[in-house]
Amino acid sequence: MDTATRDKWDKTSKRYDLMVSKGAEKRWEPSKRDLYSHMKGKILFLALGTGLDIALFPVGLDITCIDISPKMLEQAQPRVAAYDGTMVAHCMDVHDMEFDDNSFDQIYTACTFCSVPDPINGLKSLARVLKPGGVMRMFEHTGSTLFPFNLMMNIMTPLSSISGPEMNRKTVDNVRAAGFKVTEVDNVFLDVVKTITANLPK
Amino acid sequence: MEKRFYFVFGDLLSNLVAGGLVGLICAAVFSSSWNMIIAMVVGMALGMLIALIVTVALFLMLFGAMEIMIPNMLTGMVVGMIISMAASMHEVPLLTGLQDGAMVGFIVFIIIYCLQSRMSGKVNLTETGSGE
Repeated sequence: MDTATRDKWDKTSKRYDLMVSKGAEKRWEPSKRDLYSHMKGKILFLALGTGLDIALFPVGLDITCIDISPKMLEQAQPRVAAYDGTMVAHCMDVHDMEFDDNSFDQIYTACTFCSVPDPINGLKSLARVLKPGGVMRMFEHTGSTLFPFNLMMNIMTPLSSISGPEMNRKTVDNVRAAGFKVTEVDNVFLDVVKTITANLPK
Repeated sequence: MEKRFYFVFGDLLSNLVAGGLVGLICAAVFSSSWNMIIAMVVGMALGMLIALIVTVALFLMLFGAMEIMIPNMLTGMVVGMIISMAASMHEVPLLTGLQDGAMVGFIVFIIIYCLQSRMSGKVNLTETGSGE
């Protein structure tokens, strides 16, 4: 278990909803709702955080959620319990998941791989638990190709990573490096906030 | 592209406030005793820092994350550069710094919306490779 990342998000858990629920989450709601509308089969969702995204999931699904932070999961518990379907939440590190190989039909992530310390190995762990031919859909913010945004995000990353995410990740490239085939990238804000769809080759 | 009034208003407001405040502070801090190039570089960094603080303190919780932070930091950077450079050549009244800063904030707001209208939607993966 990566205790540094766990402790960072444990510390943020109390104020997390206050920080993001009115601004960022409301802003991203249409794009996330559209992404989650594709959910079907046995689903792995990470990282659950305080469970703000649960309200956007279609009902009646079988969803397994993980998060590295037990304090975040404490906050999420009422939302998990209220979900109209089958939902379980585990405290687990993506680098070290206890699921069997080929366990899930689909994987969803939301603002996750800006914070996973070793993103390519984290994505390889996801490839292990996803069935061959399975789909991974991600809502992520990444670095930008545009100057001066890329410069600004490189400057901000050492600050932002102290209490939260890194701003300059190359998540699409990381998804490819982990063995997935990227089939669709959809820009939500500039080339920074985006949805990524990738398949695991059979 | 964002069309909801609440968020468009938030984007505009945050750019105007960040730009105005950076312009005001740079007009107060820099004077003709500064070397123009040094003033420009320091002003640019100071502008980004002030814009980031204003964004996190006032606007992040209300209007979004990257959608607020990136335009505001760009506004801070440009205003910091322009006003500090101008102030190193001749006196810039505080009110002028405030007005010019807000004006740059408005221009950045327009530029970001134009860029966003071009970039939003599906990325052609065969052209760009990764889109990053």
